[in-house]
Amino acid sequence: MPAKKTARKILISIMLAFAATLLTLLCRQFSIGPARPSPAWRTFGPQTAKIQIYEYTDFACPACRAAEGDMKNVIKLYQDSVRVNFKHYPLSTIHPWSFHAAAYADCAGKQGKFIEYAALLFENQEKWARTKDKPKEFSEFAKKLKLDVPALEACTEEQDTIRQVQLDVAEGDLRGVNATPTFIINGKRAVGGTQFLEQVKNFDNLLKK
Amino acid sequence: MNKQTGIKDLLGIAARFIVGGAFIYAGWLKAVAPAEEFAYAIETYKAVPASLTIFIALVVPWLEIYLGLFLITGVFTAYSALCLGATLLGFEGLLLQAIIRKLPVTSCGCFGASKGNSLSHEFIQNLVLLAFTALAWKYGRKLSIDSLVESYDQSESPG
Repeated sequence: MPAKKTARKILISIMLAFAATLLTLLCRQFSIGPARPSPAWRTFGPQTAKIQIYEYTDFACPACRAAEGDMKNVIKLYQDSVRVNFKHYPLSTIHPWSFHAAAYADCAGKQGKFIEYAALLFENQEKWARTKDKPKEFSEFAKKLKLDVPALEACTEEQDTIRQVQLDVAEGDLRGVNATPTFIINGKRAVGGTQFLEQVKNFDNLLKK
Repeated sequence: MNKQTGIKDLLGIAARFIVGGAFIYAGWLKAVAPAEEFAYAIETYKAVPASLTIFIALVVPWLEIYLGLFLITGVFTAYSALCLGATLLGFEGLLLQAIIRKLPVTSCGCFGASKGNSLSHEFIQNLVLLAFTALAWKYGRKLSIDSLVESYDQSESPG
């Protein structure tokens, strides 16, 4: 009799564990769960904004450069209603320097110049993205923006900086990001500038709700 | 059933829900986030080899969810409470060594990657959870799957 009881309990435990696993994996699949906010220097707009955008970008990707202007316009147009969390998603296998570029941009951000540094990276993408050796542009941009270059260089080597970028990539992988730019707007996905603009057309309706 | 037993049973059920709920929530927050996040938090405790952190980060959240669920529903209640108690003691050990070594742990990793509270705050919080776990272990059999299986078997047995 005790063996029968134990067997029943084991069966119930297995069923419970199975249900919990299924539910949690579904939550992962549909990105249900708190999103990790980006650091302050690459978060724009009020925290309580009705439209929450997560943008996964690679500084060496031409499509991301093209979408950058659209995003700037959206931030300008919907400044009080939109919050943008900029996320790094360097495609290191095809863009050898994009991970470094992300680290440099974050370190520039720590010195208060993320947007400016990101703009320079995008503008001069063709110069640095495919070089064989480490691009000299990374320090040149820093000098141009009057940043503390030795501090910036040291910052790019720090574990915390590298982890921050790695975590963004891991989060992107978990959310099914595999191309850049990918936007997640109030939980809805848009890949590339065209899909992004399609969703932007719906912003006024979202704000009326 | 006298009044005192009723209160003890109620305490046991409440304790099961408090501890089980806390573990399910903590595990779920970590399971739906990238494992690397929790792995980095574990690394900051400098208590396990870095190569093991990702494995621990993959396993612990699921363990928390399962044990929490078992405790809430009351299946193998005593064993679940014991396992959760042991897990909490393990967490306390980690926190204590970090406090003593004054390690710069920015996120304890207890509830995902959120900044969370200070280590000493988490230590005290876990002590409270340990006390509730003891209550769940001692008085948590009422309204449980365990008691349901028992009564089902009794009703099934001949005579």
